[in-house]
Amino acid sequence: MSSGHGHSDGATVKERADLALNNDFLRKAVKFTTERLKGGKLKATEEHGNWEEWRERGKQIRLHTIAHLDYYLNLFVDNARANGVHVHFADTAEEAVHISLSIAERKQAKSVVKSKSMVTEELHLNHALESIGVEAVETDLGEYIIQLAGETPSHIIIPAIHKNRYQIADLLSEDAGEKLEPDTSILAGYVRRKLRAKFLEADIGMTGCNFAIAETGSMVLFENEGNARMVTTVPKTQITLMGMERIIPSWADLEVMATLLPRSATGQKLTVYMSGITGPRRSADADGPDEMHIIIVDNGRSLQLGDPEFQELLNCIRCGACLNACPVYRHIGGHAYGGTYSGPIGAVLTPSLQKNVAEWDDIANASSLCGACYEACPVKIPLHEMLIYLRRRKIESGHGDKVEAIGMKGFATVMSKSGRFKAALKLGKLGQKLVARNGEIRIKIGPLKGWNSVRVTPSLPKKSFRDQWGTMEAEIRNGLKEMDPDMKNRMEAIVKDRANGGGHGHG
Amino acid sequence: MADTHQDWLIEMEAESRSKQTKFINSISEKLRRPMVTEPPRHPFRGSPDFWNDYELNEEERIERFTTNFKSVGGHVQRLSTMEEVQRFIADKASELSAKYVIRQNQPELDELGLEGALPGAQVSVWNSDPEQHWKARAAEADIGVVIADYAAAYTGSITVLSSKDKGRSVSLLPTVLMAIIPVERLKTRLGEIMVHFDEGGRDSLPAGIHFISGPSRSADIENDLTIGVHGPGVVYALIVG
Repeated sequence: MSSGHGHSDGATVKERADLALNNDFLRKAVKFTTERLKGGKLKATEEHGNWEEWRERGKQIRLHTIAHLDYYLNLFVDNARANGVHVHFADTAEEAVHISLSIAERKQAKSVVKSKSMVTEELHLNHALESIGVEAVETDLGEYIIQLAGETPSHIIIPAIHKNRYQIADLLSEDAGEKLEPDTSILAGYVRRKLRAKFLEADIGMTGCNFAIAETGSMVLFENEGNARMVTTVPKTQITLMGMERIIPSWADLEVMATLLPRSATGQKLTVYMSGITGPRRSADADGPDEMHIIIVDNGRSLQLGDPEFQELLNCIRCGACLNACPVYRHIGGHAYGGTYSGPIGAVLTPSLQKNVAEWDDIANASSLCGACYEACPVKIPLHEMLIYLRRRKIESGHGDKVEAIGMKGFATVMSKSGRFKAALKLGKLGQKLVARNGEIRIKIGPLKGWNSVRVTPSLPKKSFRDQWGTMEAEIRNGLKEMDPDMKNRMEAIVKDRANGGGHGHG
Repeated sequence: MADTHQDWLIEMEAESRSKQTKFINSISEKLRRPMVTEPPRHPFRGSPDFWNDYELNEEERIERFTTNFKSVGGHVQRLSTMEEVQRFIADKASELSAKYVIRQNQPELDELGLEGALPGAQVSVWNSDPEQHWKARAAEADIGVVIADYAAAYTGSITVLSSKDKGRSVSLLPTVLMAIIPVERLKTRLGEIMVHFDEGGRDSLPAGIHFISGPSRSADIENDLTIGVHGPGVVYALIVG
């Protein structure tokens, strides 16, 4: 090894690189930095300030883009093609899967490395890839953990928040074929080594897309681990799955999104990496993909266009702030929502993407309508109002019941009198304290009345939230259980951390 | 079925173009108006005016960058000359017993003379030999050395642009990243950097533009901060001038 690079004849980058030696070095280096971090203590960061003006600007940019989505999408596509990107359109999840699999087959791919993408979760793309014999590896640390567990993300930003380090150590030990101690740095170190090898031998890198810049045809990714950079730098083919509404006009607009997204998601000033990828590698470049595909996915998104009550859903920048703010999410956790997206955004987005009236019955009720989601939203999406619209539509279409209808009137009264829902929020919090005993909410009073009683009525929609989620059903029948205390502590720590301006930066 | 991959790509493109018409038309229809083909007026483009006026002086920029970068676990060193940069990198490389070092292929780095200053390490120059497997060289490297194209003080970010001579891998795959920031490239806001991409337009952009704001990190296991998950775990910003 000491005599330079005589080891460079392997077929893959992994085989060609002297990784073993590198790993020893790594262990020392990581220790070096973490020690320094712990010793040095994080300096308190200054508040950004003028937050309301930034939110308003973010909202206006998103409103403008969505209102002219036809123009900006065409512009993006023209520019992306001019950059050498192969652009595809998919009306449905099935079409997006079909296109992805066709590319994988054409490239005779054996493995795909993926960075975090909620769109691919919508499509259940991993299963589809495996069905044609292609290994799909999630490379975000949290995503890798839940992929090993055979689960789905329970939080848009912190996918494995529902697992503790002992569970994670068990999963990773099984993966490693050796016992790994439940120590964060050991576990993360194992995943780094394991996934480094996967990155270096993968045929295809697959990503989501945080923003797509129409004027230059660039796609932008925000991340902290570096896995999205790996996925877009090392494999020979890149496939990006992009929701059709991810567009922003310019890089100038990206500055606003870069101001709003990381602060709202993790409390960071900027994620460790923000990458703007403009086409495949230039012919003289020695890294980056030879071939780049962008699949623009509708999958129910366009149903919101032209709908005055729901069009603003398309403004969402997927930060997860509404989940962290939501008292209901904190009680029931992400998996209870059943869909790809959880929390308040999921409660509205899931039924909206599916236009499924029966779904509305359950999921729209998974909210106390306190307005905390709206307060947290960096682009001011009125999620709490949308939840009311969903309930109203359910009642109008004959899927509601009288108790719920009365409950809704009650909410309407509270909200019309309480200005910005602050009072309702306080009431909700107080109410929770009063009715929660031994970690359960049993008493059916106040704002929870309609919710709980609807949840135990036997008149179920044909394919309900409950049918899909048996454990949830049991929990509801026994009264709602408090979230696992460990998980709750972790979430509270995150919120506290954010209040201090810190933010560890998940994912 | 297409014979070659190239034929297949051409087929797919034809399919995509015909699909595009339907796809976009359906958007216009749902928005209940004819398709917009002229650039719409965008009165809220970019950051608010008060922000665009915000500017720190050089010392403030250095101080702000340093504070931010350190707060996320990065290291910052203020150096006056490239000779000091050379000495600093050589000392760190020897302290960390680095075996492999990779650097971008730029005249400023040629002049740095790392090859001579690091007798114990093999120094590779990105894409300097077409026969070499450059991603593998970067993956095994202990230290990657780059020159920042820009930096932003307010967020503590280093910006690197890719080219034939500037590999994306060099700032990503090595365990330690050393980024040299000529002080005149250190701006206050991200917007001062992004404006170049808007003004230059599509043609001017490289394949990869990366903003790097510290060492790779994750808190996915029990909200416990871990450094160096996939990207470099140790990042030095060397501000020169």
